[in-house]
Amino acid sequence: MKEYKILEHKADLKIQVFGRTKEELFKNALSGMASALRAEPENEKAKAKRITIKSVDLPALLVDFLSEALYLIQVHKEIYSEVRFIEFSDNELTAELSGQKVERFGEDIKAVTYHDLDICENKKGIWKATILFDI
Amino acid sequence: MFLKSDFKKLSDWLWEIPVSFRQDMKVPARVYASERVLEDAFRDRSLSQLVNIATLPGILNYSLAMPDLHEGYGFPIGGVATIDMKEGVISPGGVGYDINCGMRLLKSEYSEEEIRPHLEKLATEIQKEVPSGLGRGKQTKLSVDQIDKILEEGAQGLVGQGYGRIEDLENCESQGKLFQADVSCVSDHAKNRGRDQVGTLGSGNHFLEVQKVEEIFDSRTAETLGLFKNQVVVMIHTGSRGLGHQIATDYIRIMMRAMPKYGIKLVDRELAACPITSSEGQRYFSAMACGANYAWANRQMITCFVREAWKNILGEKASSLVALYDVAHNIAKVEKHNINGEKIEVVVHRKGATRAFPPDHAEIPVKYREVGQPVLIPGSMGTASYVLTGQKSGEASWYSSCHGAGRIMSRHAAMRAVSGQEVIKSLEFKGIIVKCCSSRGIAEEAPMAYKSIEDVVDIVHNAGLSKKVARLVPLAVIKGE
Repeated sequence: MKEYKILEHKADLKIQVFGRTKEELFKNALSGMASALRAEPENEKAKAKRITIKSVDLPALLVDFLSEALYLIQVHKEIYSEVRFIEFSDNELTAELSGQKVERFGEDIKAVTYHDLDICENKKGIWKATILFDI
Repeated sequence: MFLKSDFKKLSDWLWEIPVSFRQDMKVPARVYASERVLEDAFRDRSLSQLVNIATLPGILNYSLAMPDLHEGYGFPIGGVATIDMKEGVISPGGVGYDINCGMRLLKSEYSEEEIRPHLEKLATEIQKEVPSGLGRGKQTKLSVDQIDKILEEGAQGLVGQGYGRIEDLENCESQGKLFQADVSCVSDHAKNRGRDQVGTLGSGNHFLEVQKVEEIFDSRTAETLGLFKNQVVVMIHTGSRGLGHQIATDYIRIMMRAMPKYGIKLVDRELAACPITSSEGQRYFSAMACGANYAWANRQMITCFVREAWKNILGEKASSLVALYDVAHNIAKVEKHNINGEKIEVVVHRKGATRAFPPDHAEIPVKYREVGQPVLIPGSMGTASYVLTGQKSGEASWYSSCHGAGRIMSRHAAMRAVSGQEVIKSLEFKGIIVKCCSSRGIAEEAPMAYKSIEDVVDIVHNAGLSKKVARLVPLAVIKGE
């Protein structure tokens, strides 16, 4: 199963993400966002970051999770390849992010948006989300 | 899906979707477009988004789209909404993620012939002096206290500290500062994202160009603005960077949660809005004003960096660059407009639209009062840009004009169609120098990915929203990434 794929969009970045569980879906969404930033990593590990997020529903939780990760990525100049969920429900999560320090980014993401946001589970039990980033 | 039969033709340049089109519309939706530009708009969802704006509580007269409209988040890019202060809402989606993204134009006293021998060095020096803010180039990290000062004071605070001149402020929308700014309404996340980005260009369609005045359409107005044929000018296009993006993210989240409290239901979460008079609405407005001030400070700092590069290459004695004007194209402003014969205060949302006040308006610099507010319209990379001025006949658009060419091709499609190196070659063939760290960034912004700027500018000119003064063409393009 693919983690994510880039879809066609006129002005911005649209990705489709897959996961066998909602947790995996969130993790793969973070991978998709991180790859779009085209980071040039340093050979230094980033200090693990713990985040707790409460949202109104599952789509908002995904947007808020990615927005918080984007904030940490940009402010600390780090890229996170590992996510460990300590708690996870449809409107609340606690997670630990770990990865590498980054020298520079090749692309800027302004924000994670609700535009065309779609999360669903197909008949085979695969979770799928479409997310659009303002770049 | 829209059909041409859904529109009422009001003139050759103005089309209306009547209020009967969709049950939830409170007012009609209008588009400034030629027949061809209107048909182009059928290809994406910008017109549905324009209809969505027409459902906002408190919207007055009609929702509006400029000819460079394309699909955005919540509002289409090129969308304008004027909203009643007492009964209406304010929406972060009506301003966009890049609060006060805008244009600044600096003019020199030199002609192309005088600058041409120094151009390559000048472009390299500007690229060195003006960082992208993505990790390459010089970096400065400000304290939260310094950021708070910038949020409160905007470009005025920087000029007060010696970064620029008083006339930079005189020749700037709102003199580079919105007084409604309140730093307590801006999150620590937003402030932290802004700490190392004052004086940075960013990526995407943001750019800096050394241009020449290729054609003058109105010599009297050009003279008042200080423009002459073959003159070298510098155009800056950037906004409030990560700080503004975070303010938008924060308040869309806040408003989405608060909307049920006010009984507001909207078709798109990106349109999230709260009453202007509510605490959420007031706090967003104050935070947005901080974001706008940050953007003006950002363009002010970049102006200083460009002047430094100018001096380094042309020498200490070279006459410096003078600000012609600075104008926002993503902002919400409190303005007085004529509503059904009565002059009242309203909130105008302009997203991908430029304010274009007419001659004699009290909010434009005294020296421009005779000709109207300068309107700065960038073309796509490597194509022409325009200087126009606001007109009295623009009253029907709440004195708004277009903001650029408008994309017609996705970034991926552009990259598939052409390589960065091919774009650089074709620009070099035209005598244009390109400085960009990423050839991918160049391909994404290839001129073919955009509508023709000439078509867009001709529509606002013919519709009387603003008048063409000069056409500028690039000599050197400097992009962040």
